[in-house]
Amino acid sequence: MFRRFARHIKEGFFGVFRHLGMALSSASAVMITLILIGLFLLVTLNLYDMTRTIESSISISALIREGEEVNHERIEEQILAIDGVASVDYRSPEEEFDYYIETQGSDELREFYNIYRDDNPFRGNILVELESGDDLEYVRDRIEDIATIDEVADGGANTYTLLEVLDSVRLFGGILVAALCLLAIYLVYNTIKITIASRADEIWIMRNVGAKNGYVRAPFLVEGVIIGFMGSIIPMIVAIIAYYYVYDHMDGVLFAAFYLIEPMPFIFYIAGILGLTGIVVGFLGSYISVCKYLRLKR
Amino acid sequence: MISIKDVSKTYKNGTHALYNINLEIKDREFVYIVGSTGSGKSTLIKILNGEEVPTSGEALVNGVNVGKLRFSKVPLYRRGIGVVFQDYRLLPKRTVFENVAYALEVVDAKKKDIRVRVREVLRLVDLEDKATSFPDELSGGQQQRVAIARAIANRPKILIADEPTGNLDPKKSDEIIQLLEKINQEEETTILIVTHDTQIVRHHPKRMVMIESGHIVADLNKGAKI
Repeated sequence: MFRRFARHIKEGFFGVFRHLGMALSSASAVMITLILIGLFLLVTLNLYDMTRTIESSISISALIREGEEVNHERIEEQILAIDGVASVDYRSPEEEFDYYIETQGSDELREFYNIYRDDNPFRGNILVELESGDDLEYVRDRIEDIATIDEVADGGANTYTLLEVLDSVRLFGGILVAALCLLAIYLVYNTIKITIASRADEIWIMRNVGAKNGYVRAPFLVEGVIIGFMGSIIPMIVAIIAYYYVYDHMDGVLFAAFYLIEPMPFIFYIAGILGLTGIVVGFLGSYISVCKYLRLKR
Repeated sequence: MISIKDVSKTYKNGTHALYNINLEIKDREFVYIVGSTGSGKSTLIKILNGEEVPTSGEALVNGVNVGKLRFSKVPLYRRGIGVVFQDYRLLPKRTVFENVAYALEVVDAKKKDIRVRVREVLRLVDLEDKATSFPDELSGGQQQRVAIARAIANRPKILIADEPTGNLDPKKSDEIIQLLEKINQEEETTILIVTHDTQIVRHHPKRMVMIESGHIVADLNKGAKI
């Protein structure tokens, strides 16, 4: 068993070196694909992390119609009954005023605004936390339907635009990666096809002396896997070095209050995914080729 | 033992290759199958080798019904049949020893057993001293000997030689047939030689089955006049 396995590995490597030019060109295609996949993963996973941060911090501010503050508990119950609402927190007009004063940058400003305490312009406000950012639009619309609510505010159009842009990035990147994967699979498939053709005599002999089908196919599958893995080595190294470099260079900050994902162990997961993708792409390319050109016919 | 009963073969393109063939070949027999190009003898070999299945009838080889042989069982079935072709089909980058050993490696024989068996068959085909030579360093006759050594390395019960002398001069052809006779005797292998060369049949008379247009037209015992 082990001897046979070792033999397939050896034959697989021989196959690669026998058609080194072809193998390298296929590995290059896999490499380019994986570099793009790596880049895509690093960017989208960081953006995804950022969206989760945004989504988790998204809350809706529901301003109560003037004079309805006394009924705030009933309004809270109405809002809590909406699907997707995690929690509600009522702030009285006084609390809202205090909060506003607290958030002013200087003591002078705080003092200035304090003058209006007796003529408080704020209304009662219910802060609504959501279970997920995906529910934002739905929950906002339901709250607006409540008669005692005067005005509803959330992150607004910017939040929606950001979420939509991120969705588009994910979709476009996904399509690009899928297309590149198909191209890489096709190139590996072609390389293995040529290898099979160049080893027609050996295959004929193997078949005639009674080698099992799996035995005939295995070296070509191994060869595909080797090509795929060869193509993944540089992307893995590039991903690790580039991410560490970018992380150090940006001091771990993506922008504003958003942070890049810590390199450890994140980048090694990415490298692992790239290696595995290379192997899968190589295996699929060779598997399709082997199924087509090494089919036992009668 | 080979037992062919009412075997017919029609290819998908409509070509009728064999019509109701009946043939019995005993173990350790030496048989020529003679016929012109397109007579159906190659189809017969393909059926015996498990490459083709009969359209009708039954072909029993070493107790196996070839027509009902499952795909997964074909490799094991073929280990019982050695095949030699006119064009030798040796691997040019492997030595004589490696070419013969290859047939044993691919069926997972142990290294030690491979060494012993390859030496044995090379001695049998009289090529022990050429073990480290490459095919292009050998004459046509020697290359065919290597191909025969490879075909019998797995100790098949049946050896099918398809025009084994097609590329050789009469002297070398004679030597190859003598070698096959030796294998028939020493290895107790059933030998089927497919040929259209009646000269070798005359020089080494054995049972001869003549096929023409998909029919067996004669089944002559050793020494019968052609």
